[in-house]
Amino acid sequence: MIEVISVSHDHPYPPRISEFTKPFWDALAEGRFITTRSRASGALTFPPKPISPQDWSGDMEWVDLSGNGVLYSYTTIHAAPAAFVADLPYIVCIVDLDEGLRLATRYLGNSPQIGEQVKMVSIAHPNSFSFGALAL
Amino acid sequence: MPRSVAIIGYAALPVGKIQRPPHEKIQSLEHELMAKLVVEATRMAGVEKSDIEAMSFALPRPYTQQKYFATFMAHYLQLPLHGGIAEILGNGMTGALAFEKAADEVLLGRAKVSLALGINFESAINATEHMMSSMRATGDVDFQSPFGITPIAWYAMDAMRYIHEFGSSREEIASVAVKNRFHASLNPLAQFRSPITLEEVLAQRPIVEPLGLYEVPPRGDGAVCLVLADEEYARTLGRPYVRIRGRGFYHEGAHQISETPNDMIALEAAQIAGKKAYADAGVTVRDIDLAEIYAPCTIVEVLASEALGLIPRGQGAKWAQEDRTKLGGDIPISTSGGFTSRGHPAYVTPLYSFVEAFEQLLGTAGDRQVKNAELALTSAELGNYNAALVHILEGVRP
Repeated sequence: MIEVISVSHDHPYPPRISEFTKPFWDALAEGRFITTRSRASGALTFPPKPISPQDWSGDMEWVDLSGNGVLYSYTTIHAAPAAFVADLPYIVCIVDLDEGLRLATRYLGNSPQIGEQVKMVSIAHPNSFSFGALAL
Repeated sequence: MPRSVAIIGYAALPVGKIQRPPHEKIQSLEHELMAKLVVEATRMAGVEKSDIEAMSFALPRPYTQQKYFATFMAHYLQLPLHGGIAEILGNGMTGALAFEKAADEVLLGRAKVSLALGINFESAINATEHMMSSMRATGDVDFQSPFGITPIAWYAMDAMRYIHEFGSSREEIASVAVKNRFHASLNPLAQFRSPITLEEVLAQRPIVEPLGLYEVPPRGDGAVCLVLADEEYARTLGRPYVRIRGRGFYHEGAHQISETPNDMIALEAAQIAGKKAYADAGVTVRDIDLAEIYAPCTIVEVLASEALGLIPRGQGAKWAQEDRTKLGGDIPISTSGGFTSRGHPAYVTPLYSFVEAFEQLLGTAGDRQVKNAELALTSAELGNYNAALVHILEGVRP
């Protein structure tokens, strides 16, 4: 399970939701960080996909992730695309999850340290869900 | 006897802000500028209009109002073609892929002479607006773009990781910007030519930490036309030319970051493409006299120079700081001024790399001439060097 944080402002550039990825976004509302795994090989993939990139199998199942990982890198952005100018400055980062998946996301704290333990959190905007990483 | 490809001439605009803002009464038109470059390049190459049998364009930016630009140019120049005509997109390596297609027309016997060309107009569109498009190209639009990750933010994360892993520093990496501005001061095609100090570089406002304004590429416009020819035919012209001696390509099958944790800053694609290019050319890395490396930010030149084997792993920033990659040093890198100073009119930037290699290998680089330059390396990439395309070029002076 992961923490769900509610915020009052709309997400400025919400993700599209497909029939296939809808379970992922619904799970964030429940405080779960899930993704897809190939039933053929057991290989995990993130973001969730209907086809396994490793074995090209279409037989996928949803699994829960712990949400825990390690901070691989980060940067503070001072020049943003138009939709994100109001967020400036903001920190983006790369996280290596315990399950062996790498993803990129927002860093929600102030002083990231490469190598620190982080946890994913779910962010509930009025118009969309999102997620980010927070130091453990 | 397999065919080989020669670069026999070129024309290029100095990089800068050429595009006029949309509301202005008088506009700069891409096709007018492109036509003049084609004529100038053809003249330099010593070929006739009727010799040209193929044109391969870098895709123009979406801000270019004239659509289907390539075939419009064939009309504007009244140039029928037997070999082929196309606009090519390969993300960051767009210009190099346009070059490849033009070279391929020659290699396949479809064209005796072909043009690799393009014009990149974007400076009148402000960065915040442009990044709403470029962020969707350099990230998963639904799982990464919502975080506002910009194209150069990935390179900044490379820099943070490099500093962490190798005990480097912003200052050490920033020396690349100082070196390249010095090179640019000697290059008439460069966008920024006034020499700068390390203190000035470090004092600029942050863009994507640890990179400040002078450590990332400026926005700019540019245009290049290269004339390529079958080498056998080039020989008959009796003038110096540059030949493609080797080529290597690799795409690692990842977009920005791998889903599986790996060594992001090893730039595996550059390692593999480089090795293939050296083998194809029958040379070793020690034979390379200069390198024009596709490097949007200072850190990318550091990482790519290491991945290409020009500098030992972890030493790239140090070598720049010690002037070993400066003109006159062990391995001059970015004698053109590189992306931060020569500029980065993105879709045509790789074409400028071939221009610099051409000048250096034929001894016409003036004050920035690398002594006895015989072999040059050019690299192009896309994403976070997820794919690399490396060429080894050789000067031939009859």
